[in-house]
Amino acid sequence: MTGSQSSLRGANRALVVETVKRYGGLTQVELTAATGLSPATVSSIVKELLAAGVVDTRSTIRSGRRAQLVTIARRTGLAAGIDVGRRHLRVALADVTREIVAEQTLPLPAEHRADTTLDRAALLVVDLLERLGASLDDLLGLGVGLPAPVEPGTGTVTVRGVLRGWDEVPVVHVLSKRLAKPVLVDNEANLGALAESRFGAARGYQDVVYVSVGAGTGAGIVLSGHLHRGFGGTAGEIGHVQVDPQGRICRCGSRGCLDTVVGYPALVEPLTVSHGALTIRDVVQWATEGDPGCRQVVADAGAVIGVVVAGMAMVVNPQCIVVGGELAETGDVLVQPMREAIARRVPLNQVATLEVVPGELGVRASVLGALAMALEATDQAAVTGTSDIADLPDGLGGDGA
Amino acid sequence: MTRFDALPRDGFTGAHVRDGGQVIGTVGLGRRTPVLSVRQVSKRFGPVEALVDVDLVVHPHEVVALVGDNGAGKSTLAKVVSGVLQPDGGLIELDGEPTAIASPSDAHRAGIATVFQDYALCENLDVTANLFLGRELRERSLMRDGEMERVARRILRDLTSRIPSVRTPIGHLSAGQRQTVAIARTLIGSPRLVVLDEPTAALSVAHTAEVLTHIERLRELGLGVVLISHNLNDVRAVSDRIEVLRHGRNNGSFDAREVTQEDLLAAITGATQVATARPLDVVG
Repeated sequence: MTGSQSSLRGANRALVVETVKRYGGLTQVELTAATGLSPATVSSIVKELLAAGVVDTRSTIRSGRRAQLVTIARRTGLAAGIDVGRRHLRVALADVTREIVAEQTLPLPAEHRADTTLDRAALLVVDLLERLGASLDDLLGLGVGLPAPVEPGTGTVTVRGVLRGWDEVPVVHVLSKRLAKPVLVDNEANLGALAESRFGAARGYQDVVYVSVGAGTGAGIVLSGHLHRGFGGTAGEIGHVQVDPQGRICRCGSRGCLDTVVGYPALVEPLTVSHGALTIRDVVQWATEGDPGCRQVVADAGAVIGVVVAGMAMVVNPQCIVVGGELAETGDVLVQPMREAIARRVPLNQVATLEVVPGELGVRASVLGALAMALEATDQAAVTGTSDIADLPDGLGGDGA
Repeated sequence: MTRFDALPRDGFTGAHVRDGGQVIGTVGLGRRTPVLSVRQVSKRFGPVEALVDVDLVVHPHEVVALVGDNGAGKSTLAKVVSGVLQPDGGLIELDGEPTAIASPSDAHRAGIATVFQDYALCENLDVTANLFLGRELRERSLMRDGEMERVARRILRDLTSRIPSVRTPIGHLSAGQRQTVAIARTLIGSPRLVVLDEPTAALSVAHTAEVLTHIERLRELGLGVVLISHNLNDVRAVSDRIEVLRHGRNNGSFDAREVTQEDLLAAITGATQVATARPLDVVG
């Protein structure tokens, strides 16, 4: 009997922690309603968790009455991760233990512009801090991911035209001026690679290739545990590898790039006759639900990308290839044809076979990578006493070029 | 093609099946029946021509935005669709059937749910009571409170909302949370079409983000959505198609993924006139 009593207690405790995490900050009364536990149970569990340092409480006012706001305890400050996609903005806050404490996604228009999007990103960070009962003073730094190759020092997109409306915008400068905090900017696939190799599917591997498949395709390369950006930040830009010499002209100016064959809008184009106008999200949703046409399109994309990634694998010789991005939500519909294409082309290694696996972090990989980048930089700043984290010599500090 | 022949078809619950019971395979979504089809609808208030021969078509799994200046007729059209106002002329079809929407309760019975700008929520009642206001679940004469709370929790979870308790009085919620409740309210019963009038007006960025995510969710659930808004950023973020109204007339229909902000503004301000307009409309 006592055994089941204590396991029930443990389950209730986990439920309380999970609920607080989900809402960011909750009063005890709200916590009672959200968990369905009795007020007495919630009160005693919160007391226990407070003593154990899992949660923090502070007085607040809810509808004119004094109340106890319960939040997840954070250790000395927060970092913000911002993932700017082609059609979404994802912002997450985490404390120095890498625990995500608040998160929000904002859908964005196609071809969104830097000024509006960065303005909304800054406001969203402030809104999320408010949700936690924190302020800008608690923010240590920001990490930003862009769906284009960037110059690490300034956060400027290095290849003209690939991200319309963002050319010559120094993202580091714009955001650090706005929020008066250190800002680091990197490519979205690089950050995905960082996240998957730190706490995702490629944990424990030294040499990793991360492929992000969505509206465009990109890759991040981790060599001997370090992110490899290349001289101009364009390492891994496989979206601009030529796959069709007679193909269409890409945004970048070349002909027949991978993105013109499997990116948006080429990806949904074959479906217009049978399905009408679709978004990438529709294709992912319906392919997952079993729609044959959408599965076909995703599988064919996987096969084409697989050939390009195979070439990359030959050069880099990774232990593991992680597939992430929006299209990877379809799981093996995308990954299996990639796996087959890669297996056909990369010489079999008797010693260590190459694994091709779906990412574990899903579409949050980039925002988690951005958080990791910001936190690793602030850790270093704390250790070395450097005040400006952008000046750090390490690969993560952003000297890249 | 042969590779998918082995797929278990009985497990398929995709949009094709929901789409009017059409069989999967070659029948395309491109030719599906619109959930709402407004044809040549007009409405006058004395000398004011609020709507003149307006067309609006909404398919299942589609977000159609209505944009235009103040007084362009956006809200009037929303009120016609939701049965608040009666049109002077024109035809309204639901799922291809000509239908008269004589009152808001008619609209509700027909599966049309509307969120107006003022949310129309009761401050003193809790979330559950507001969701079920006027359509409480009853067993003989007794209200089924437990069941209503369960449904309320499920709907809020479906929308991935951040409202912790279904027992919180509306008066205690933030503006964004109220909008969430108002949207959740549309999901009571089995709606086919949701009309949202300025859902992001006066909301913070975080709350706007939540509301836009809810709209994406409604679309994923297979509903048709009419989104009325002034904010072209929000509109272009979640819509499939954008219909411009100007002085109560259609002034352009745009693919939301292709259209630029400039073209939209030109259509709204009248710098460009719609190509398909009848000759009389083009003059001026």
